[in-house]
Amino acid sequence: MSAFLEVQNLKKYFKTGRGTLHAVDDVSFKIEKGTTLGVVGESGCGKSTLGRTILHLLDSTGGKIFFQGEDITHVNKQKLRELREEMQIIFQDPFSSLNPRMSVSEIIKEPLILKGGMSKDQMDEEVKKLMDTVGLAERLTNAYPHELDGGRRQRIGIARALALNPSFIVCDEPVSALDVSIQAQILNLMQDLQEERGLTYIFITHDLSVVKHISDEICVMYLGQLVEKAPSEELFENPLHPYTKALLSAIPIPDVHNKKQRILLKGEITSPIDPKPGCRFAARCIHATEACRKPQALEEINPGHFVSCQKVRELNDSKIHKEETI
Amino acid sequence: MSETKQTDNLVSVRDLVVEFTTDGSVVHAVNGVSFDINKGETLGLVGETGAGKTTIAKAILGILPDPPAKVRNGSITFEGQDLLSLPEKEMRKVRGKRISMIFQDPMTALNPIFTVGDQIAEAILLHEKMSKAESEKRAVDMLELVGIPGERCKEYPHQFSGGMKQRVVIAMALACNPELLLADEPTTALDVTIQAQVLEMMANLKEKLNTSVLMITHDLGIVAEMCDKVAVIYAGEIVEIGLAEDIFDRATHPYTKGLFGSLPSLKSHEKRLHPITGMVPDPTNLPEGCKFSPRCKYADEGCRCQAIPLHDLGNGHLVRCRKEGGEK
Repeated sequence: MSAFLEVQNLKKYFKTGRGTLHAVDDVSFKIEKGTTLGVVGESGCGKSTLGRTILHLLDSTGGKIFFQGEDITHVNKQKLRELREEMQIIFQDPFSSLNPRMSVSEIIKEPLILKGGMSKDQMDEEVKKLMDTVGLAERLTNAYPHELDGGRRQRIGIARALALNPSFIVCDEPVSALDVSIQAQILNLMQDLQEERGLTYIFITHDLSVVKHISDEICVMYLGQLVEKAPSEELFENPLHPYTKALLSAIPIPDVHNKKQRILLKGEITSPIDPKPGCRFAARCIHATEACRKPQALEEINPGHFVSCQKVRELNDSKIHKEETI
Repeated sequence: MSETKQTDNLVSVRDLVVEFTTDGSVVHAVNGVSFDINKGETLGLVGETGAGKTTIAKAILGILPDPPAKVRNGSITFEGQDLLSLPEKEMRKVRGKRISMIFQDPMTALNPIFTVGDQIAEAILLHEKMSKAESEKRAVDMLELVGIPGERCKEYPHQFSGGMKQRVVIAMALACNPELLLADEPTTALDVTIQAQVLEMMANLKEKLNTSVLMITHDLGIVAEMCDKVAVIYAGEIVEIGLAEDIFDRATHPYTKGLFGSLPSLKSHEKRLHPITGMVPDPTNLPEGCKFSPRCKYADEGCRCQAIPLHDLGNGHLVRCRKEGGEK
């Protein structure tokens, strides 16, 4: 059986005055139905562009996208409209992603109007149900976004995304703008919705503890490339790529007794414009050698654990399963 | 923290009350906050958006916009001087020299039309008797101190990345060797690997210069890493304060516990978070009695009818809860 969603060698380049910006470069992965794929990386690594390209909010430059076994890389307008019912997005900033001139009910109703085929009463009934699902009080029906706090606004964004009963949602940093106590409420809501409706998520975030909490599998991106992909537990217990290791060690842990050993990276993310072939992390990597300047391939090191680093075996000899190394 | 530092008080905030008057309503931003910071010590101020963290820092620095802000009560004593009654002319000698602030957003804290070197030199020229050339030399030294090559002092803010800009802001704040540094979410706008670099640098500088720091953050991970003492603030009140070990090991106030329960952990395999129900109260209309009581599962009538004092659990660990977190 084919995967629920599959992308193969997906590329998205932007033409800029200074050259071609490789925002997403040769990314491939599969997601099974009802699971969550976390995508982590620092700002500018292409994680949002990846989500938007899959949804056709941006046109891909190369590669293929399969949705429920069907090639949807190039689709006409009619087909795109149908697809949009199945694929939705929740945006990062609940302050700018809601029209300030529309009331809560109008915002949630808009997708229903666009789809058509419902009477006004049916739509009002549906809006009521959706508001209830995401935990918005009925008295807020006629409120405007500016009257509400970030958590409630994000609930509106979720209700709007759910309106057409999609099967797949790209969540682009949905909790980054929220306070921790509200963040936890929204994460729980999203998990409940996934269970009830069998939703499939791509969860884009820079917050590693959030991504560990919500994801089944995690992709780590660096400068447009996928550097490591593994089941959530495996990635955190046994990170293999030098960048993933540095990223994980950089998270401050709320524990006063266990001060951990940091791997401090030198320098900053390099420019994604006209990058040289080879590992893009090499410039900051303490293990980099001449061979890292050649293009790297994603390789399955442990079952389900893919790493794009030619030195991975040498660096992690003890952590790789015995069967694999023989 | 050594015993000698305990007595070496640098700044004392007592019963600070700050209100903002808006069209007809009064926002009770800070409601009777007291704390001390000793020399060389870092106090973490933790709380959610709107809890009053930044307002406290701005009150210390005397940069609250009046109107609408008004300090209604309290005192801020800095090395024996009451900052609140200091004339503006005197305050200017303190601000930027003895107390300085790192603002949250490095993108807007720098002036886009001056080079970073000029901006750092400006702070130095205002407070130190030295020539322009000397101040520029010092600016270059400061840049190198925060890990930016000195030759970049002739560049403009837009030529720097976010992490570099935040370093420039830190260089500016440290330019006159302040005794107290107010760091308002200094790494919130940065990526984790860059955040790790900046925190490491701040810790090293603090060690070198023996600066006291008020670290404002909502990230308990940063608090664990950087702070000696922690104050948890909710709706303009300190609900719990104590040594970092006490707060992390023996969190007592239901709100503090709730904050910890809301954090997805990197260690545990728990698939469900335990958020605090409800929302932060409207600061124009705060609840009577314990301000957390509407969201607290232990609250009863007694919590709602009277103001709750801070209760001493020993070792300077204070908690504003008459039930000690539901255990009594």
